[in-house]
Amino acid sequence: MPKLTIDGRTVEVAAGTNLIEAARAAGIEIPFFCYHPYLTVVGQCRICMVEIQGQPRLAVACATPAAEGMVVKSETSERAREAREAVMEFLLANHPLDCPVCDQAGECLLQDHSMEEQRATFTTHMTETRRTFPGYESRLIGPHVIQNQNRCIHCSRCIRFTQEISETSALTYKSRSNSTFIDTFDGKPFEDPMSGCAADVCPVGALTVRGFRFRKRAWKLRSTPSICPGCSIGCNIFIEHHERVVYRFSPRENPGVNATWLCDYGRFLAESLNEQAYLHPQRRVSGQLARATWGEVFPALSTELKAARSLRVVASANLSNEELYLARELFGRHLKGEIVVPVFPGEPRRMKNGKREWLTSTDAHPNSHGARRLGMATVDGEGLVRFLRGAAGTTVILDPSAHPSLASEEALQALGRGPLVAFARAKHPVADLAGWLLPTPSLASNEGTFVSSTGSVQRFAPAFAPPGTVHRTATGAMSPTCPTIASPWGPPGEARPLWVVLSSLAREMGVATLDLSSPADIFALMARTEESFAGVDWEELGVQREQRSYRERQHVG
Amino acid sequence: MSTRPLVAARPETIAEVTFDATLEERIVDLLRRYPTRRAAILPVLWLCQERYGWISPGVIRAVAQRLGESPAFVEGVVSFYTMYYTRPPARYVLQVCTTLSCAYCGGKELVEHLKGRLGISFGEKTPDGEFQLIGVQCLGACGGAPVVQINDDYFEQLDIKRLDGLLDELTGRR
Repeated sequence: MPKLTIDGRTVEVAAGTNLIEAARAAGIEIPFFCYHPYLTVVGQCRICMVEIQGQPRLAVACATPAAEGMVVKSETSERAREAREAVMEFLLANHPLDCPVCDQAGECLLQDHSMEEQRATFTTHMTETRRTFPGYESRLIGPHVIQNQNRCIHCSRCIRFTQEISETSALTYKSRSNSTFIDTFDGKPFEDPMSGCAADVCPVGALTVRGFRFRKRAWKLRSTPSICPGCSIGCNIFIEHHERVVYRFSPRENPGVNATWLCDYGRFLAESLNEQAYLHPQRRVSGQLARATWGEVFPALSTELKAARSLRVVASANLSNEELYLARELFGRHLKGEIVVPVFPGEPRRMKNGKREWLTSTDAHPNSHGARRLGMATVDGEGLVRFLRGAAGTTVILDPSAHPSLASEEALQALGRGPLVAFARAKHPVADLAGWLLPTPSLASNEGTFVSSTGSVQRFAPAFAPPGTVHRTATGAMSPTCPTIASPWGPPGEARPLWVVLSSLAREMGVATLDLSSPADIFALMARTEESFAGVDWEELGVQREQRSYRERQHVG
Repeated sequence: MSTRPLVAARPETIAEVTFDATLEERIVDLLRRYPTRRAAILPVLWLCQERYGWISPGVIRAVAQRLGESPAFVEGVVSFYTMYYTRPPARYVLQVCTTLSCAYCGGKELVEHLKGRLGISFGEKTPDGEFQLIGVQCLGACGGAPVVQINDDYFEQLDIKRLDGLLDELTGRR
């Protein structure tokens, strides 16, 4: 454990830690462009120069391991400052100063560094015109990524990302010297299951994510820590949103699961969170769905459920542990209903963790492992249809997106036989059969925990209140994949998270033990009563650190 | 004059490349002399250029496959160096030195004459595919300035008359 001094502050770090990380531990930021904590160190941008006592030449902090007794000067060194200024002069000699129209502005390392460290007296020795790459200013390099080669500072992060992390080795430098540019083999499309990450690691606006470009300025977005709903790996994400509209997912650092990566499939699920097809509780009156209030729902529904001849509940592996637990206790134990969790294998997905090991997904749900841990019966598509065809009685569907076969003709036919209570968010055919149609909000308006395929319990936080009026707005028009989009104006919507509805039903039915007012309380109850969750503390889950600057989050995690 | 013409494979014939036994044997021989397969990229590319006349995407893919690299990486290497032809070259590639010593000793005039006689400028090919003109930096033969390299051979202490003689000879061979 070497102990060293950086700018007068003494810090002790693990052996092998480089000076950038050591300085971070001491609360000092050494600037960098090409360094990335999860990629190999190449030391080619030269902006992290520091002065080390006893060494005649400046050293690059990213490639210098901390050593015992080292005395490092970063901000306090005039030589280092001069060297960095020279590096910036070289970089800015050819970098277009188009920050006002650049989508990276606000989350750009080059811009940040210019703002932080350049002096007002900065001048350039350049007399020539800027180097440009005609035809490469706004080029679709792959299906999800747009390249502007003029802005590239040749840090090689994207190249190293494709070589070391996604292992497609799809990107490379071409040509040399002043004409060097980023390209794929033979100009083929940049097909990579994690292509969005290449844009993430780009410190400038040279690679940007196509779907997000020009939709929202980065500094307007608020980020809420959450878990990707795409598969059972459970990548840690930030839901980035503004005025009750989700604009994107960005990876959140977790060395055990997704380091700082996110696959394209998960990344582009962000848009789907904006769909809210059902806004109010509805009840079928003489064949037509009519608006109801939650005040009417609870007494009427609890009477109906208690009186049901038999009760069949389709839970979902997309629900949080708290919701699954409440459903199991309320419908299973108290109402003596039968409850299953359909599980859909889906496409295979994989993710690389901080140790560069591949994690693979076993199914398409974020919480199938949670359902198993709660001892709930899982079924496949055929099993689900068989379950629905069982004895006549009331059916409750907690999440129509639980399994694709819920929309199949056989399933719908079986559901049409008896009373149906459906909780839904996105448009689904079961709504046409439901006697009660109760709106649930998206992941962005819910709170709870999922169990990842690696077995860790991970918490997600609520980003905003469920959206109210939903229609196609100017924002919606820019989001062709989403038929409806939340409007930021108007009152919040009436969709309620399932755990809220279930605990209200429990209160109505007089089940006092399940009448709980927060996911934290439900989790505490689970931790007390469930062996599989024993000893897990809500407060310690997922380390919901306060988000720091954009730069901190995007590029270091 | 012993300069042999370059024979460039037609693009469609090397869209997909499989190394034949002779070439494979030479590659194996090369690989023995390098610590890693990656280290042998340059010489293997040379072999291919010698065989096919130029380095097409198909050749790049085959080399990448043989050496266990990604095609993008190999293409990056190819594009870094100016002496790999990424397009079919002319039968005779004239590389004219434009650096100091040659420029002093009449190189500039040679360049002007060549451009005029062939009707092309640097980087271009004559329409008949016979000659290609490339301006290069020092060829390392300042003692014999001015120098023109035609394919693999150096021609030193040239003047316009001698150069015309060479071109006439090459044109006459057709």
